[in-house]
Amino acid sequence: MTLDMTTVPETTTVLPPLSAAARRRRISGVVRRDLASLRRSPIRIFEIVFWPTIELVVWGFVTVYLQASKVPFVVSMLLGAVLLWQILHRASNEVAIGFLEDIWSRNLLNMHVTPLTTTEYLSGLIVFSLTKVVFSVAMMGTMAYLLYGFGILTIGVALVPFMGLLLVLGWSLAIVAISCVLRFGEGAQVIAWSLVFVFQPIAGVFYPVSVLPSGLQVVASFVPATHVFQGMRDVLGGAAIPWDRMAAAAALDVVYVALALALYTVTLRHARAKGRLSRFGE
Amino acid sequence: MAILEACLLAKRFGPVTAVEEVSLTVAEGEIAGLLGPNGAGKSTTLHMLLGLVTPDSGSVRLFGLDLDRHRTEVLSQVNFSAGYLGLPGVLQVREVLDAFARLYGLRHPARRVAEVVGLLDIGSLLKRKVIDLSSGQQTRVHLAKALLNEPRLLVLDEPTAALDPDTGDRVRRLLVDLARESGRAMLITSHNMREVERMCDRIHFMSAGRIVASGTAAELAADFEVADLEEVFLKVARQ
Repeated sequence: MTLDMTTVPETTTVLPPLSAAARRRRISGVVRRDLASLRRSPIRIFEIVFWPTIELVVWGFVTVYLQASKVPFVVSMLLGAVLLWQILHRASNEVAIGFLEDIWSRNLLNMHVTPLTTTEYLSGLIVFSLTKVVFSVAMMGTMAYLLYGFGILTIGVALVPFMGLLLVLGWSLAIVAISCVLRFGEGAQVIAWSLVFVFQPIAGVFYPVSVLPSGLQVVASFVPATHVFQGMRDVLGGAAIPWDRMAAAAALDVVYVALALALYTVTLRHARAKGRLSRFGE
Repeated sequence: MAILEACLLAKRFGPVTAVEEVSLTVAEGEIAGLLGPNGAGKSTTLHMLLGLVTPDSGSVRLFGLDLDRHRTEVLSQVNFSAGYLGLPGVLQVREVLDAFARLYGLRHPARRVAEVVGLLDIGSLLKRKVIDLSSGQQTRVHLAKALLNEPRLLVLDEPTAALDPDTGDRVRRLLVDLARESGRAMLITSHNMREVERMCDRIHFMSAGRIVASGTAAELAADFEVADLEEVFLKVARQ
């Protein structure tokens, strides 16, 4: 006999599962869990501080050296690039780590038997990653100012679209990395750490893409980060915000996110069909 | 009313047939047991019933709804506990329960967490990290998690495997009381035949991916012309 929805009576315990309140509650479950996990993992807190600090110190001294060689704008451009790169790097890694922690603790199946939807799960991971990105960038920005006299706010109002565009790109790369782990198993988790670095040489993070071979320049034009980092160099060089570049990056971000979500949907379906999802519980 | 209706489920992994033509129902207030030797297809069957594995053919309906099409509505009233699963080890027990209370969309997470903590008598564990608990204590936390949303269907894979006899007995009694008093349906796998005899209203034996016998413990013993469920298990496993 086929019964309608009235056969799943509302209970006093559970919010109506499709309501906005229930969705917010489930997303808050992911965020609170990850925040608690961070609070109880001193090593992970150390890691948030350690890597950005090392990167900033190394590049900071490189800029000091180049500045002494009278290369114009070098401090602001390199340190600006380091700070913006951290946004992309962190946004990508933190979302992927949130997912990997479910695998490492053999908790992934528990998550997949909750009413949590894919959108809610990814939203929770993204909101949590945002808190870490903000903390990390604030810390690096302060250090850059104190050590090298570079204020990230000198980028001005352009900082808002730059950061937003890089965050979205980082999240879409994380979803691709998660999909790879779902498809190929735990052995593929190295992709979660390294995928973002594929984009570092192509996107012209520390140099203009004009130095790349012409074929790679074409490839670079399809990477949202290329437009952001070139835009940053333009702004720090005294030009106005290149809105045409920002629009191109935003359009590319939309395509990247759509492709990443489609890939995740397909790989999750495949993982269920092939029994791979179950194996994450073994 | 049938809480769970599985019809002709089949699953192959490459050349291996894991599950073939499995049909079963679990009614409101019923405790059903799914037994069988290792590799019989019990876990694959449970995972298909929970939507973790997509069947090659057949259908799963929970509360009259197709699981695949109404996943969120259905899973808000189902819960699962298995000894082979973990929980985030660095979290304190209260943090784990708070997170899952929210993941199930509970109206009053803190109030419900306090209730299940009382039911499972784990108040003394609340501020301890999961990773520091004994396996028996972790099992109780898993069961507390499984009761958070007052599920209408509770799926338990070896629910008392790591518990000492006293705690195991208390948990069994709690589960039976929950089924009898609140009409919760349960589907349980276990290798503890005495436990199954005590708890289950109906038992399904699986072997080589198929359900080969179903009935009460007494009916199965009579059908196989043996004294008890343990001997039924041995006969099925050695066939």
